[in-house]
Amino acid sequence: MIQTLLALALAFLLLGTAGGISGAAPASGEPIRLGAISSLTGSFATFGSMERAGYALAVDDINTAGGINGRPLLIDLQDDTSNANTALTVAEQFIRSGVPLVLGAYSSSITKPLAVYMARQRVPLLNSNSADDSITKPGSDYVFRVGQNTDAYVKPLFGLFKQLGGIKTIAILVSNNALGHSVENSLVTQAKDGDYQVVFDQAYDEGLTDFRPVLNRIKDIGADVLAMSSYEADAVALMRQIKEVNLNAKVFAGAGATGFAIPSFLKGGGEAVEYVITSAAWSPDVHYPRAHELFARLKAFMGGVEPSYHAIRSYAGATVAADALRRATTLTPEGIRETLLATRLTTPFGTVEFKDFNGFHNQNPLPSILMQVQRNKYITVWPPDVAVGKVIYPTPVWTARK
Amino acid sequence: MVQFVQIVVNGVFTGGVYAIIGIGLSLIFGVMRIVNFAHGVFLVVGMFTTLFFFERLHVDPFLVIPLVVLVGGLLGIVLERFLLEPIVRAPEHASILMTVGIGLVLSNLLLFAFGDAPQIINTRYSTSTWHLGPITFSTALTIAFVLTVVVIGGLALILERTDLGRSIRAAAQNADAAELQGINTRRVRSLVFGIGFALAALAGALLLPQLFAHPSIGPTYTLKAFVVTVLGGMGNVAGAIGGGLLLGVTESLGAAYVSSSYRDAFGLAAFLLVLLLRPAGLFGRSRT
Repeated sequence: MIQTLLALALAFLLLGTAGGISGAAPASGEPIRLGAISSLTGSFATFGSMERAGYALAVDDINTAGGINGRPLLIDLQDDTSNANTALTVAEQFIRSGVPLVLGAYSSSITKPLAVYMARQRVPLLNSNSADDSITKPGSDYVFRVGQNTDAYVKPLFGLFKQLGGIKTIAILVSNNALGHSVENSLVTQAKDGDYQVVFDQAYDEGLTDFRPVLNRIKDIGADVLAMSSYEADAVALMRQIKEVNLNAKVFAGAGATGFAIPSFLKGGGEAVEYVITSAAWSPDVHYPRAHELFARLKAFMGGVEPSYHAIRSYAGATVAADALRRATTLTPEGIRETLLATRLTTPFGTVEFKDFNGFHNQNPLPSILMQVQRNKYITVWPPDVAVGKVIYPTPVWTARK
Repeated sequence: MVQFVQIVVNGVFTGGVYAIIGIGLSLIFGVMRIVNFAHGVFLVVGMFTTLFFFERLHVDPFLVIPLVVLVGGLLGIVLERFLLEPIVRAPEHASILMTVGIGLVLSNLLLFAFGDAPQIINTRYSTSTWHLGPITFSTALTIAFVLTVVVIGGLALILERTDLGRSIRAAAQNADAAELQGINTRRVRSLVFGIGFALAALAGALLLPQLFAHPSIGPTYTLKAFVVTVLGGMGNVAGAIGGGLLLGVTESLGAAYVSSSYRDAFGLAAFLLVLLLRPAGLFGRSRT
């Protein structure tokens, strides 16, 4: 009931913003409705709130600029309660009500079954924020991903390792879920390709987070790099306990971005997260047009809360959807799917196009960046053409820190 | 060897906190014969009460413990008086449904009040440590363990040495006989539920500096409390301490030497083994 009310309130809000802002040629008439699924409640709610802001601001901008060929766009955002079964139920309702395209979901563990279902129903799914490789590898003709996959998250780390030198061994610790295992696979494969030795490789169960036993094992084994993948709460708990057990490594890496690359990681982790290097899909330092401006506008839109890259990617996802709708000759699932194939759009998030490469299908081949926590701020340190600061390397041992 | 000792020490300290989660559940079951499915949510209420004082009034989490215990105790008494007492003679499933319902309402109220993002607090001792030879101890976990020992000791004294404790034990052994001896068992039930809630809330306050708080994480703790209680023997307060420590050490050793992916599974495997071999729990006596 509460979720329905929230969803209705949100739909109302989106409709309100659709018609409420004056522009050169504001959209009018019957809105074109798209479905969107995100985790507005439950364990992924922080990321869901970012997606909601991204979609809402995008709809606002699209409609102010004339909508979809004069008609307003409506993104009907529904909550999956961070649960895959709920997401499937919502998708079924969307398809029954004739929605020609669905955006979402957030978590890979939800998007994976959702992608299979959408492909079976032959309705396109446009995903912005799930990173598990298997969503688009092998993928399906009906699944399109705007954001980076885990291979892309992990790749710049190895580029940096090569440049830094002195790194030979890697320990891997990931959460026991779809994202974690995909990051693990990407790390193992790319470590092998780069001649690095994986000396420890385990997943941990999410829930009560006492990582001390496994961290003591890693400490005992010793590794130049500890590469991790975790959602929000675990990432902070991990770094706190790494400090506690005095586990040192040349690099602590958030290889799966997510929990290591959001503002609450800095707030919750304090000094324990200093020098952590994390993959990220985007930062305001990238050179894409209007990137800085969008970051500032999203921040204002969110009432001063700093947006993470998830919000930017959702904004890009909604922009790509609108672009496809504008170009489509028929507003049917098949018509939109064919139009999406020909997408080539420059957004503040980066260029979006759906390519087939290395076994991926309909995947946007955009590279990731690396950020390092320096003085409790994210500093973009890789790739060199985007970097605004130098990597602090090796990570100072815990006993040498103030 | 050092590493082994380190892992066992971690297990013992974590087990101490598990014990305090389990004791409240065990006490409530012992006296009231109610399996409290809201127990984990009571712990989360403790976490958020502590969080409230820390974020809004900037009071150290360990300093607000008396207040958190008081809030928990009062909430427990009120819930028992108004929601559980009326169904005291009803079939067992009524109390199960009632506690499940209480848990749902409380966690949704927390959701309304605090939102849905995991909340993590950063205190100066959240990551600090102290050393004894080559063994490292987490300051937050040590404080939690010491307070747990003090509280468990205090509770044991109350149960053994005071009239209230004797009343509680009498009501647990035979409520009708206790009533005939002039013990107000209704009052005892309210107090026990209050103590149970207070102990869970205390565990929440102790855990907050190390872990995160989330309104929907209650059932995870309820499950831990069940395992601890069953390991130690349902209704056996001293057994819950043994159960907590056993669970903590089993999980730590399993996660370190076998696989961290199955951390929870080691505790549950121990739980199943005890149920198979000693159905009344490791420290329990079977009831007739």
